[in-house]
Amino acid sequence: MNRLDELRGPVPACPHDARAIAALAANPGCARRALMDAAGVDKDRTARHLGFPAPFGRSQFAIARGNVFEALVKENGCAELLRLLRELLGLPVAQVGYQDVESVGSHLRHSHTRALIDRAARAGEGTAVFYDHPLLSLKIAGHTSYLEPDVVAFQLGERFHIVEIKSFAVIDGQAEPGKVSAAARQAAVYVLALRALLADLGHDPGRVSHEVLLVCPENFANRPVVTPVDVRRQLAVLKRQLARMTRVDHLLEGLPEGLTFDLAPDGDGVPTRPAGELAEALYRVPARYAPDCLSTCDMCVFCRDEAREAGSTDLLGRQVRDQLGGVSGMAEALGIAEGTLEAAEGQEEIARLLRTADRLREECLR
Amino acid sequence: MSESLDALERRIAELRAEVRRALRVRENSLARSLRGELRRAEQAWDTAITAEEPAPPPSGPGTSLLPIREQAHQALALLGVPTAAKLIVAVNDALFSRTLRGSQLTSLRRDEERSFRSAPYARPYYLCAALTDRLSPARGLLADSTWAPERRVLGPLSPRVDFLTSTMRIAEHLTRLADPPPGALRLLSRMAQNIPGAVEGLVPADPATAIRAARAELEVHRATDAEQRAEVAERMGSRLPDVERLFGAAALSTLRGAC
Repeated sequence: MNRLDELRGPVPACPHDARAIAALAANPGCARRALMDAAGVDKDRTARHLGFPAPFGRSQFAIARGNVFEALVKENGCAELLRLLRELLGLPVAQVGYQDVESVGSHLRHSHTRALIDRAARAGEGTAVFYDHPLLSLKIAGHTSYLEPDVVAFQLGERFHIVEIKSFAVIDGQAEPGKVSAAARQAAVYVLALRALLADLGHDPGRVSHEVLLVCPENFANRPVVTPVDVRRQLAVLKRQLARMTRVDHLLEGLPEGLTFDLAPDGDGVPTRPAGELAEALYRVPARYAPDCLSTCDMCVFCRDEAREAGSTDLLGRQVRDQLGGVSGMAEALGIAEGTLEAAEGQEEIARLLRTADRLREECLR
Repeated sequence: MSESLDALERRIAELRAEVRRALRVRENSLARSLRGELRRAEQAWDTAITAEEPAPPPSGPGTSLLPIREQAHQALALLGVPTAAKLIVAVNDALFSRTLRGSQLTSLRRDEERSFRSAPYARPYYLCAALTDRLSPARGLLADSTWAPERRVLGPLSPRVDFLTSTMRIAEHLTRLADPPPGALRLLSRMAQNIPGAVEGLVPADPATAIRAARAELEVHRATDAEQRAEVAERMGSRLPDVERLFGAAALSTLRGAC
């Protein structure tokens, strides 16, 4: 692991939260992201120093709205959530137990969660249904990250369910797909952490359901509605990605000696390393840019700029990139389409498609 | 008032016409005196129009003379169970003086604890904490120190039992009122939504139906909850000194008895 410390420089590793871990699963093929995360590099500061700050951050309004909605769902011992689970999933009336894990000090919360989950898994009947804000942990590349799901629900068919409360609206049974998949990825991280906890306690990890319960406001009111979301796919991707992080030596092998992403901060924490030099170091590790990165990764603007410079087909999105499989870049694709370049062997099919597209465009413009 | 305004406006128009006429025939001294009169008329019009503004409406039944702790206590006495600050504010808003704000309650428990520590039992009651099964103070709940220990501690089922009880208490209070305020009915409807059989769809709840439904569900949990609460209350009585019995044990000292 010394090589990773060298990559990060002499600063403490950046801890991962559920969003960061979920973002890993969003783009499993990106070696740059995998490496930076494994080393615990502070990507946000790196991107800022390079002059490519990420265009997102959390809005104060969004945070306030999220908190208000979460409080609404959880008030009076999760009364709203209880109604939803009874109506939709047939929770028996006798099952109403509620444990506020947050009522112990933060330093005890993790051990308290362990004790409660252990008791629930052992006793089965007669334990609490809701665990409010438990604290789970997940080992990532040798570092322990602490994760805090909104609610863990138990007693639905003797299995644990992760409940994720989000404040985006479900209108007419439809929600924005991007937000749902982000929530599903985040919940998958919690499922994984809870499974790890159960396995650690000697119980069957399969008792954590792969169905998470997504609670959102319905239509234009603040009335919550629950939707089960299957996260098996997200779980599989996440597991693979985490396994890759532990086998990060494989990624490290090809790296040149002395490569580092160290920002060389001075006494006040202001980075002193020249941005150009840092960018050179980052170019050595291949990234796999996709437009989705713009909503999940701190490095997105830097990688997009790189992809633009190189004329890479990554900019066009995954689907188009996959279709343009044998073509090396934008220039070549345009050349083939306009007929200034001869299609090489194996490119006949894509060449025919590109020429048709070009002809259609010409006809439209005429 | 508006007639005098009309008269003034007519007067202003006449004066303006006279000023113009005087200027045309070059009678400067007359014009000057007319201008002075015009200015006075305009000032009179200004005062008349501002006097026409309606007086600010008399402040509603709002202003309560009770201190905050008395108001919170009033709501707690009605509900009879440990209650979150948000519900205390809602009950106060719907049924009592409507001057309480959530932010006023944040430091209440701490102030009460300080008062108790400096002079134990000097007040007839204290607004204290509800205790969890680890004997630590439950987050955000207020209780009354004169209640029996079993009512001030929480088992896993207690949040639900307390929710059902407080819904029943509010509904009972409404049945006693000849003309229940609409805000209180809205509060009851919102709470009854989460009790099976208490209300159909999104219509306003009927207090009698709400009481029946809440009581039916309460029957399911009552025995188990009472048993769990008695156990915690017994532990609280035997282990904690007075001040911690009211305000909860500090987190570290409960570690020994935990789970």
